[in-house]
Amino acid sequence: MQVTELPAEGLKRAFQVVVPAASLAERRDARLKKLGAELRLPGFRPGKVPPAVVKARYGQAVAGEVLEESVNEATRQVISDRGLRPALQPKIELVNYSEGADLEYKLDLELLPEIPMPEFAGITLEREKAAPGEAEVDEFLATMRERLAGTEDVAEARPAAKGDVLVCDFEGRLKNEDGSLAEPFQGGTASDMPIEVGGTGFIPGFTEQLEGMSPGEKKDIEVAFPEGYQAAELAGKPAVFAITAKALKTKVLPEVNDEFAKRLGVEDVAALRARVTENLQREYDALSRMKVKRALLDALSERASFTVPEGMVDAEFSQIWQRVEADLKAGNLDDEDKDKDEATLKADYRAIAERRIRLGLLLSEIGRTNNIQVSNDELANAMRTEASRYPGQEKQVIEFFRNNPQAVDGLRAPIFEEKVVDFVLELAQVNEKQVAPKDLTAAAAE
Amino acid sequence: MSEAVAKTGVQLSAERMYQVIVSPVVTEKATRLNEFSQVTFRVALDATKPEIKAAVEKLFSVKVEAVNTVVMKGKTKRFRGREGRRSDWKKAVVRLQAGQTIDLTTGLA
Repeated sequence: MQVTELPAEGLKRAFQVVVPAASLAERRDARLKKLGAELRLPGFRPGKVPPAVVKARYGQAVAGEVLEESVNEATRQVISDRGLRPALQPKIELVNYSEGADLEYKLDLELLPEIPMPEFAGITLEREKAAPGEAEVDEFLATMRERLAGTEDVAEARPAAKGDVLVCDFEGRLKNEDGSLAEPFQGGTASDMPIEVGGTGFIPGFTEQLEGMSPGEKKDIEVAFPEGYQAAELAGKPAVFAITAKALKTKVLPEVNDEFAKRLGVEDVAALRARVTENLQREYDALSRMKVKRALLDALSERASFTVPEGMVDAEFSQIWQRVEADLKAGNLDDEDKDKDEATLKADYRAIAERRIRLGLLLSEIGRTNNIQVSNDELANAMRTEASRYPGQEKQVIEFFRNNPQAVDGLRAPIFEEKVVDFVLELAQVNEKQVAPKDLTAAAAE
Repeated sequence: MSEAVAKTGVQLSAERMYQVIVSPVVTEKATRLNEFSQVTFRVALDATKPEIKAAVEKLFSVKVEAVNTVVMKGKTKRFRGREGRRSDWKKAVVRLQAGQTIDLTTGLA
């Protein structure tokens, strides 16, 4: 094997590799001999097929395999001889591979960059902490009450007011051009439907017009479907609904008492408050960790200035771009991106891709040099968490992971990332700062 | 027989030539005969030696020295208890002039 190094540029390396024809032929003959030893062909006793016949019949196929095998082996050897660490699968371009001639090919690869360790101690971060107070707990309980609200018949005969629930039948018809009514349309008819007067969720103006109706009353109301209505044949069209009010109910919010707590599965109010506090605390902690992590990654990417393999950035970018392009066509880009032209967008997302790759490389390098590993226990834990997300199918999920090592790698990556982040956070200077819960959640929503 | 009269240099139409030579015979024995410049074919049952010689010379552009033929009798086989007989076929072993070969793998043009 003869290897010529072509001029290198940045992280790119190129080689011209020549594998002599003799070694190819030798390899091919060995393969054919092995094949012939057990070959069954009509007209021949098993394994007694003459080499000439075997070659005539299988020579081409074997030559193809041998070619691939030799290229792979030569490539491996080039890489290991020089102690290279390629970033991606090497690119191979065959120059000459005709029968009986020397195999000649060009090998293009990109190396992983030398990654200098940033000085972790120099990183100063701020960890925002928050503890839920009475106000937050009350707010949470209020939404719980809203969700568990029941209804109660209204005894007195009075017209429906805002916030009441009116049980009614309705039948909707589209309005024709000349003002006459068309046949009732699909999905526009219902009976005994509880509707919150003045509530949202229907066609705009629908529930508002129910205000003032008493049980037993009939009324036609006119509404217009909004332009963006999900049923295309209805969107933007005026319609008339014939409403028959049947019963009036009011929404009753449950009191926060021990009974309310029991409905939520806890002993009494005190326990409920404790539970809510605990949940909120966990939520805040997760938020604060997310923010610290983001700040840490920002700091790391600022400090990491090594060159990133272009091929990796290209691959990442094309993945991102595919999604962006789909969004672009569908016309639902983020507000932030709306006014930019394609070139700016491309540049922006390229920068994002580069940052991702850079951070990915840096994190894996930190993990490698500091011997951070994901233990089997942690993997098993993650697997169990994943499985518990599909209740009733835990067994299949576990089975799936057992049969698909790549899927397990998908679990391993985030754990590894978290561990590396933890490791760096230990070393970095992290200042704690108490903030109000409001500020924490507001900043996270950005 | 009219063919017998024209023993030296039978006139065959191209169509007949392709009818005469059915396929090469690829077996251990036939492959071994290749070393002695002998090529084996399955030929039409009614093909004569002069016909085979002319056809092989024309189709493969070689010189034939001799042709030996043998009628391979079809085996008697039973199928669901009934007796049946496979068709007979004619095998021709063609000896080429020294140094000439036929590459059977490339097929006929």
